[in-house]
Amino acid sequence: MEFLESVRLSWRAIRSHKLRSVLTTLGIIIGVGAVITFVTLGASLQADILGQVGAERTPNVYVWSGPEGQNAGPGAGAQPVFTERDLTELRNVAGVSAVVPRGIVPTAAVSSGGDTVAQRQVIATSPASFDSATFVSGRAFEQGEREVVLNEQAARLFESQATVGDEVTLRLASGESADAEVVGLLNSSSGGGPFEGFDSQPLVFVPTDPFYDTTIESPATGETQRVYPTVTVVANDFGAVAEVQESVRAYLADESDAASLAPGDYEFSVRTDQDLVDQLEELLDTLTNFVTGIAVISLVVGSIGIANIMLVSVTERTREIGIMKAVGAQNRDVLQLFLLEAVMLGVLGAVAGTPVGVLGAYAAAEYIGLSLVFPLEWFAIAVGVGVLVGVLAGLYPAWNAARTDPIDALRYE
Amino acid sequence: MAASHSDAGPETTTDSEDAVSLRDVRKTYYLGEPVHALDGVSLSIHRGSYTAVMGPSGSGKSTLLNLIGCLDTASEGQVFVNGKEVSALSERDRTRVRGDEIGFVFQTFNLMPKLTAAENVALPLVFQGVSRSKRKSHAESVLDEVGLGDRTGHRPNELSGGQRQRVAIARALVTDPAIILADEPTGNLDSETGRQIMGLFQRLHDEGNTILMVTHERHIAEHAERVIHVLDGTIERIEEIESPRRVEIEAF
Ligand SMILES: Nc1ncnc2c1ncn2[C@@H]1O[C@H](COP(=O)(O)OP(=O)(O)OP(=O)(O)O)[C@@H](O)[C@H]1O
Ligand SMILES: [Mg+2]
Repeated sequence: MEFLESVRLSWRAIRSHKLRSVLTTLGIIIGVGAVITFVTLGASLQADILGQVGAERTPNVYVWSGPEGQNAGPGAGAQPVFTERDLTELRNVAGVSAVVPRGIVPTAAVSSGGDTVAQRQVIATSPASFDSATFVSGRAFEQGEREVVLNEQAARLFESQATVGDEVTLRLASGESADAEVVGLLNSSSGGGPFEGFDSQPLVFVPTDPFYDTTIESPATGETQRVYPTVTVVANDFGAVAEVQESVRAYLADESDAASLAPGDYEFSVRTDQDLVDQLEELLDTLTNFVTGIAVISLVVGSIGIANIMLVSVTERTREIGIMKAVGAQNRDVLQLFLLEAVMLGVLGAVAGTPVGVLGAYAAAEYIGLSLVFPLEWFAIAVGVGVLVGVLAGLYPAWNAARTDPIDALRYE
Repeated sequence: MAASHSDAGPETTTDSEDAVSLRDVRKTYYLGEPVHALDGVSLSIHRGSYTAVMGPSGSGKSTLLNLIGCLDTASEGQVFVNGKEVSALSERDRTRVRGDEIGFVFQTFNLMPKLTAAENVALPLVFQGVSRSKRKSHAESVLDEVGLGDRTGHRPNELSGGQRQRVAIARALVTDPAIILADEPTGNLDSETGRQIMGLFQRLHDEGNTILMVTHERHIAEHAERVIHVLDGTIERIEEIESPRRVEIEAF
């Protein structure tokens, strides 16, 4: 029997049960659509987040101390354990170009030009944490000066848009106030680095001196010193990063103040930029795989729908199968007819499911505010799986139909 | 005649004059106690002959026809169709015999409900791989022969009983089979349409086809040259008709 004739006959069988065929196909459409939607969203989310992290890596090593075994984000659960003495020692490590401390100054609000906005915290750090290229205007603050740097999001909090030269008043959590001058504005896309998270929240930076006053007695020197929860160690270049990471670890493990100050069940995290990106990627992959897995389940459900319909269809058309065999249809002709029918339903579902999935991804991305990235290889996979599902689901019923004995089939009522 | 069994022993060979021959054929159904639908039937049907089968209901007429039509296989004994022993054929070859060498007219028509008359008639050609345009023209000309040239696009449910019967006959004829098997071809028809069908069979017989026809009605059976009387799964007697009835040949 000609292949084209099989296609024609199978297509007729599909068309003669329109509602049933549509419902069956719907299972595959939803399955393929869901896979494409979630996979596209996953890829878009990944691209978006990794894009925010920044395409360019920095030779930075991020250091903090957090509860043991916790695989949370950078700085999670960090306690202030790194003393000024630790910072000095770290600066002396070979290959280190700068050591930037970072501490939190709890605040209640920030005022500028008579406008007061709530702000839970400002970040105390050193001028070395700024890259001059990220300034929209002004410069980095200087240590020991009453100066602040805002990012654009923070500047926009104020009705009259804070600009360089404005006076701001920090209302500290302790109830005191401190005045400072805005000396620099950072562009909105430069986040505060991994410790601030990568989303674009308003950030206010102040110099550790004079604003940061969390202190402790250094176990090594006996002096009372500022103590920080997180530290960024900048290596001379990328080649030095691995070595610096090792040296920092080694220093922290025995001689450091941090080692004696950290609670017993705390451990040090010493992560490079790449480590963090890898970790993030892994997390996103897990998430995407999980959601895709759920979508794949709906594909499987769809395939069971096809199998079910094909079985019903075979039973219902037992007599027709008998007639075809009685007038000379070979087993393989019957097999081909029913298999084609299942495959066509699968292909139809996959082909219709693709735009549905793209549309779903588009709508969701629009809603979340992501820019779409289409993982085209996944489209192919989804369509391929849809077709495969048709074949597998149709195989048993088709084989059943082909084996039917003509005389029994003709007697079937 | 293709695929003959050259290694067959003397008792498995058959007279090449015979279109169909049966050797002590039994068909037994086991439903609790065995039902002998055919109980030792031996029979030869010559090429080009016109034979009727008569007998009471349940005597095994349809069973006999199904065995000859390669729709079913015997429990015991041998059935030869065009010299080939049916039970020795592979399923594939049996299907081929069924499709190419035999035209079967079912008692219950067995038309495909969703196909038009022309498509139903063309169905056996589909499985022979005949091209679409050839199928169409051939099916239409056969339908024309049975007087349904103006009903080619109708579905079975849009046709009368007699018209359906004629579509079923046209489908049996479309492959130009050497052997035509018909189970009660006039069972559902008024006497006039029945007469027309007999006219058609008479023409096919005159053209040299072998016809085997099951019927209840004596006057229909008298169109054949020979009547086989079946009773309880055995051949009771074979009656030769001296001068078979003839139908005035006319167009439908
Ligand atoms: N599939 C089957 N299973 C069991 N018994 C069967 C089957 N087919 C036929 N029989 C039995 O075989 C016997 C012969 O049946 P068959 O159909 O050949 O009769 P028939 O002569 O064609 O009758 P009718 O004139 O009513 O069509 C019957 O007794 C019937 O009950
Ligand atoms: Mg019968």
